[in-house]
Amino acid sequence: MQDIIRIDHLSKSFGDVKAVRDLSFRVKEGELFAFLGVNGAGKSTTINILCGQLSKDSGSIRIDGADPDRNADQIKRGLGVVFQTSVLDSALSVRDNLESRAALYEITGAEFRSRVAELSELLELDELLGRAVGKLSGGQRRRVDIARALLHRPKILILDEPTTGLDPQTRKLLWNVIARLRKEENMTVFLTTHYMEEAADADYVVIIDSGKISAEGTPLELKNAYSGDFITIYGIDEDTVKSLGTDYERLRDAYRLSVPDTRAATELIVKHPEIFCDYEIMKGKMDDVFLAVTGRKLTGGDEQ
Amino acid sequence: MKVVSALIKRNVKLFFKDKGMFFTSLITPAILLVLYATFLGNVYRDSFTANLPEGLNLSEKLIDGLVGSQLISSILAVSCVTVAFCSNFLMVQDKANGTVKDLRISPVKPSLLSLSYYISTLISTLVICFTAAALCLVYTASVGWYLSVSDVFLLLADVLLLVLFGTALSSIINTFLSSQGQISAVGTIVSAGYGFICGAYMPISSFGDGLQKVIAFLPGTYGTSLVRNHSMQGVLGAMQEQGVPSEVIHELKDVLDCNLYFFGTKVAVPVMYVILGVTVAALIGIYVMLNILKKKDR
Repeated sequence: MQDIIRIDHLSKSFGDVKAVRDLSFRVKEGELFAFLGVNGAGKSTTINILCGQLSKDSGSIRIDGADPDRNADQIKRGLGVVFQTSVLDSALSVRDNLESRAALYEITGAEFRSRVAELSELLELDELLGRAVGKLSGGQRRRVDIARALLHRPKILILDEPTTGLDPQTRKLLWNVIARLRKEENMTVFLTTHYMEEAADADYVVIIDSGKISAEGTPLELKNAYSGDFITIYGIDEDTVKSLGTDYERLRDAYRLSVPDTRAATELIVKHPEIFCDYEIMKGKMDDVFLAVTGRKLTGGDEQ
Repeated sequence: MKVVSALIKRNVKLFFKDKGMFFTSLITPAILLVLYATFLGNVYRDSFTANLPEGLNLSEKLIDGLVGSQLISSILAVSCVTVAFCSNFLMVQDKANGTVKDLRISPVKPSLLSLSYYISTLISTLVICFTAAALCLVYTASVGWYLSVSDVFLLLADVLLLVLFGTALSSIINTFLSSQGQISAVGTIVSAGYGFICGAYMPISSFGDGLQKVIAFLPGTYGTSLVRNHSMQGVLGAMQEQGVPSEVIHELKDVLDCNLYFFGTKVAVPVMYVILGVTVAALIGIYVMLNILKKKDR
């Protein structure tokens, strides 16, 4: 896979505030890339620079081989963005909104009607097309936002906290659509999210803090580096668990042991085969990784 | 071109669907109507009749026509500018609610975005102001019609020119606004203030000398005077035919701002057209320059 986004030594300040500091990373074509950080970490600034909304102070950016400072139009034709909050016109109908936005990419007439029909099927918009955006529920509005971002068949879809506040059904629909687009159109997805379970499904994760990269890698690499493993063991008493000499936590019908890594888990099991009759081993969660890297938790939109 | 026409369609639709913006734009004309209906109409009627030479009785229809034509000239002069400002607030609203980000991530050029705001404001304002002009003409016909065909066309041309002026001026000012609070502040100032400084609420001639001299520098003043001239010259001509001395007509024209003076020198109607035309061209030029010089947000 080739790099579709290359960022090298990107920096951006607002007065004395250094929003982005010497940021460098790569996004591979077709991958789901998660860009994580607490509020104010520099995610939105980076995205705004990528989209050509902000100028950078220094560093270089290449998107699909083009420089945003020189080939902004070319890059914009290949970018679709779903903003944190809906920026469509509340007073206009869904169809009017999509029509005015499609025209920005010179998609009009029969081409527009055909594309809207495709997106309506994909995102279940048929019944919403004639309704004013302001009258839609949060989930319905989000589906329209995504349809708007996909109107011009972008190569890269930037999702800025797309599922915050959505019901599970809409989140599922959204991720199904994205998975389908990635599979069928090899679309690259650049995601920022506060839901760590979404980041766990990413191909690659970058965590930034105070404008700098704190950690990066695949979810597995990050879990291995920043979080231990857990063995959940069933059908034994507490004295037996204590005899293992490992940190543990009591669950309703089991005990969860903390071990440094999978190797340590294997050694423990091999050493006490009579105890480990009914058990499961799990990697740590991305929440644990995030907490270990930044010292803070991200829980559905708020840092703690 | 498709892009600009789609954006214009969007902007015009939004203006007429956004009841807040639409009704705010009609506040100033509504204030004028209330002022005339409650007391201003009677004040002017008494003032006209009191200044007539003794023994000269004018028909009620003529007096009604005079007061009515003053009312419609005030409404049209002020509406062309205040409606343009309110219609153009969409430009600021798009910045305030983040919609402009969505427009700017597309490959459309910022200059085309600015052009679409200008043209859509022009269209929305012209629709409202020409509708208002039609209603004003119906009103004039009901109280006393003294306009010639050329007066009507010149009046409509004045409306067009004033709308161009209001749209260009609002485009420049709105370029520097970015929040809902600023929209409210500027909307209030323009709605309340422009009616005074253009002489719509009170004739400029009734202001003090110093203020009159300052107002003489404002191009909108000449727009009001053009509208006054073309809406009132018919009724003033009819008054002259009914025996009102030309000195009294001249004095009335001074009082009603049909005659304007720049430091004592009377400004002729063609010169008023030149002033307004040059101002519109200059304002559009400034707006274009602002958009050319505007860089990415830093």
